[in-house]
Amino acid sequence: MRWFRFAVLILLAAILQASLFADVNIKPDLLLILLVFFAVYCNISEAIITSFMVGFAADLIGLAMGPQIVSFGLFGTALAYLHRVIAIKKMPHQALAIFVTALLAGALAYFLASLKGQPITPNIYVVLLGISLYSGIVGPFLFLPSAWWMRVKTNRLRRSFR
Amino acid sequence: MARKQTRVSRGMLFTWFMLAGLIFLLAPQNLTNKFQFAFARIFHWPLSIGRNISLAARIQQPFTEPANNRETQYQNYIANLEAQLKQERQKVEQLSGLRNRGPLEGAKLMLADVYTASIDRLHSELTINRGEQDGLVKGQFVLADNSIIATVSDVSSRTARLKLFTDPTSKIAVQIGKLNVERIMQGSGNDSAKIQLLQIEHKVKIGDVIYASNKKTGFLDAPMIIGKVAQCKRDDQNPSLWDITVKPVCDIERLTSVTVIVINPR
Repeated sequence: MRWFRFAVLILLAAILQASLFADVNIKPDLLLILLVFFAVYCNISEAIITSFMVGFAADLIGLAMGPQIVSFGLFGTALAYLHRVIAIKKMPHQALAIFVTALLAGALAYFLASLKGQPITPNIYVVLLGISLYSGIVGPFLFLPSAWWMRVKTNRLRRSFR
Repeated sequence: MARKQTRVSRGMLFTWFMLAGLIFLLAPQNLTNKFQFAFARIFHWPLSIGRNISLAARIQQPFTEPANNRETQYQNYIANLEAQLKQERQKVEQLSGLRNRGPLEGAKLMLADVYTASIDRLHSELTINRGEQDGLVKGQFVLADNSIIATVSDVSSRTARLKLFTDPTSKIAVQIGKLNVERIMQGSGNDSAKIQLLQIEHKVKIGDVIYASNKKTGFLDAPMIIGKVAQCKRDDQNPSLWDITVKPVCDIERLTSVTVIVINPR
């Protein structure tokens, strides 16, 4: 795992998410797409670390610290274990994985944020569904450039049995 | 000599990270905000470039009147108003024998640059490069183009977060046009806010000015313009009430600097 390249990729995604997409209502969640990417293409220990790091980056550009660290870490780890059983290799499967992870992680993050005192907006469910759909459609296409940057081979299945 | 390798099990790794996440979640927000403000401060240059690219990509609507002519009319109108106000204030001072302090006379207007802007249906916030060291506190009002656009929601030593009045969680007491009534205006996202619970007996029309109220708050000396009525129709659920939509009177998305009203500065 090339950790410096990982750090640069996550920072770039966070800056793009916070600046270029900041004023857009329905937008792809770049950090969530990267969460699924690392959960699928890394071994489980690396997937755990990357999930929590991506969640930390998401919280840095979000409303409060903590909700996305927990939700991204939880669902990224779960996805890494699921990948040992069900291969998430084809693009439709990757799109579905991104969509479901975005829905679940987003819902948990907003619930945890409400526990921290952040008020929940009324149209949260519509926006969450839109972001999940958009991320699911766009996400698989971002896997290839991410794999190129991280020097990860995507043409063979990677599974960790340790 | 071979180095002893410490292997950490996956379960332990997950537990440690989850504990760290829970610590961040349960820690007070004024402590954890420091991380977010530090990120905005350190990376403000690439963040501002990204924002400028995003703004430049928007389609601009053409003006229907020459901008110079309209600006001159507004300036003349403002000058007339100022003269009338000065005259009225002098009359009050003569009659009462008390010196009437003008609005914002005792206030400091703190100019601030916008680091990041996050404006969508879920939240509408700006991050600026002023903080506690500059006298900012939570609740202060923020101006842009001489109109109220936001209140200070979070403050660190050198950075602050502003909640725009169009944020769905924003609630500000406002006065409506020439009516002597006060209501709560709540943000609704999409660059607008709603005023509800106003009986239809009150005459409200499109274009009426909405003022941020200075009553019950120590952060404004006098009412200040915050928006204009963009839509006024009967409430779908209760036809005896108005459903008023308010739009800002400045282009918030293109803001690169704002002014914070610091009442009674130290």
